[in-house]
Amino acid sequence: MEIVRGQKLKLRDVAASSEFEVAIDVDGGCAVDTSCFGLDGDGRLSDSRYFIFRGQPESPCSSITRNGSGSFSLNLSTLPSEVRKIVFVVTVDGEGGMSSIGQGRVRILVDGDERLVFPFFGRDFPSERAVMAVELYFKDVWRIAAIGQGFSGGLRAVLDHFGGDEMPVPPPPLKVILSKVTLEKRGESKRIDLSKRDSPAPVHINLQWDEAEGGKRGLWGRLSGRASAVDLDLGCMYRMKNGDCGVVQPLGDSFGSKSSAPYIFLDKDDRTGAASDGENMYVYRPDDIDLMVIFAMIYEGTAEFSSVNGRVTLRDGRDFEIVVPLNNPDGGHRFCAVARVERDGNGVRITKDEMYFAGHRECDSHYGFGFNWKVCRK
Amino acid sequence: MAVSLTKGGNVSLSKEAPNLKEILVGLGWDARSTDGSDFDLDASLFMLGENGKVRSDADFIFYNNLRSSDGSVEHTGDNRTGVGEGDDEAIKVDLAKVPANVSRLSVSVTIHEAESRRQNFGMVSNAFIRIVNQADNREIARYDLSEDASVETAMIFGEVYRSGAEWKFKAVGQGYKGGLGPLARNFGVNA
Repeated sequence: MEIVRGQKLKLRDVAASSEFEVAIDVDGGCAVDTSCFGLDGDGRLSDSRYFIFRGQPESPCSSITRNGSGSFSLNLSTLPSEVRKIVFVVTVDGEGGMSSIGQGRVRILVDGDERLVFPFFGRDFPSERAVMAVELYFKDVWRIAAIGQGFSGGLRAVLDHFGGDEMPVPPPPLKVILSKVTLEKRGESKRIDLSKRDSPAPVHINLQWDEAEGGKRGLWGRLSGRASAVDLDLGCMYRMKNGDCGVVQPLGDSFGSKSSAPYIFLDKDDRTGAASDGENMYVYRPDDIDLMVIFAMIYEGTAEFSSVNGRVTLRDGRDFEIVVPLNNPDGGHRFCAVARVERDGNGVRITKDEMYFAGHRECDSHYGFGFNWKVCRK
Repeated sequence: MAVSLTKGGNVSLSKEAPNLKEILVGLGWDARSTDGSDFDLDASLFMLGENGKVRSDADFIFYNNLRSSDGSVEHTGDNRTGVGEGDDEAIKVDLAKVPANVSRLSVSVTIHEAESRRQNFGMVSNAFIRIVNQADNREIARYDLSEDASVETAMIFGEVYRSGAEWKFKAVGQGYKGGLGPLARNFGVNA
């Protein structure tokens, strides 16, 4: 059965079962994402756990499960009675608007058998970046309504629409780690396919460590001016695909650049927000890298790597998060080549090295960059 | 307590409100909460004879013809967005003044520029029609269209009609294809 925008039906006239699948797809034009909101009788998202999206793919009752982009499994018989409306939303991922999709459709399937289809059209959404496609709602019985209306403000506007002022805790932004791994042992590696990366965010490399006396070094420690027993520096040696080589590190004020080569930037002064902990470096064009060696260095203090519990995390806030703990410390050395990032087809491979050297020169000669080293102080 | 009607249901206004003289036919809907063109709904009233047709074009009461020639029916004016609580458009009827050869007052709503704005009644939330006793402002009957709202661009919401000596109200909830023009012609207006 095909329905049009504005049409309403009793769900039982479509699917006798309380278990079914809601599938959403679009023909193209722009990348889209799908999410679903379980609302109370007033149409409010009074329980943010019923915002079902990539980062929260299942409701607490397991009655709504997001199987992947565009597919939701529902079981209305186990849904708590507080949830009276379930709205399925299509949002534009990245640039563009819903006007470019051509055609999309929402289908209701029971055991894979299509029972209902609601086609929607890009021409109906001149400025919209988020569209409420269909809603299931309870009024005497469960019903389905073809909505096909939305907001140019995207998902944020949808949340406002369902939440208003009464929403207790705004649900998290679309920050979803698809791949989260810890490289425990030397030689372990993880490949990131950059061609499939759907986040334009730079790769964020973060170095954290604990204070020698055991207290974790944090924002407060920095703000209060408390003397830190340990000062670790984060840096990298790189060779780009075009052959350019260099070093990004605090030493010699070689902080790199966000907007010009090497598009690697050491944010020494970022002491705000979520990135306030530790040292932070950003790689804006990971696809230009041929080889990059991420290193950590103990510059001052009496501490050694064996007492600081160092760890490096690479993440782009969305597609991957790779933790490299420094769990094989070598007491004698203050320079650690933590991991190397190498070109690997359409992506990069990140391999844990955790090799300890006397200094830059020894590290360089191991990896073969061929730099000219001179003595320098911060 | 107002009588709440479902589609096809009717109620005797004369019995619910003895000595009823003047009524207000109130119509409402929710303003659009999503982005896009506003929902501009227009209420119309057709004064119909026994044959279900208007006696003349003057019996078609709408935003360009707010008063009937006999003064029994008066449209209070156009609301273009649906913003605000309560009735968005209203038509006052002095039942005593309705000519004897008018047996039905059919109340319809159409969506202005529905075709170009690609809108239909199914997209509009919480549309209703209600009958209020002008003497005491008491609501006598109400019909919430909700699930009955059709995907068409014109709808007959309800009708006030004579039944012997009484006046009754019926919840019609009938969609009509094509908008105000075809609907008016259906009732015999030379639109």
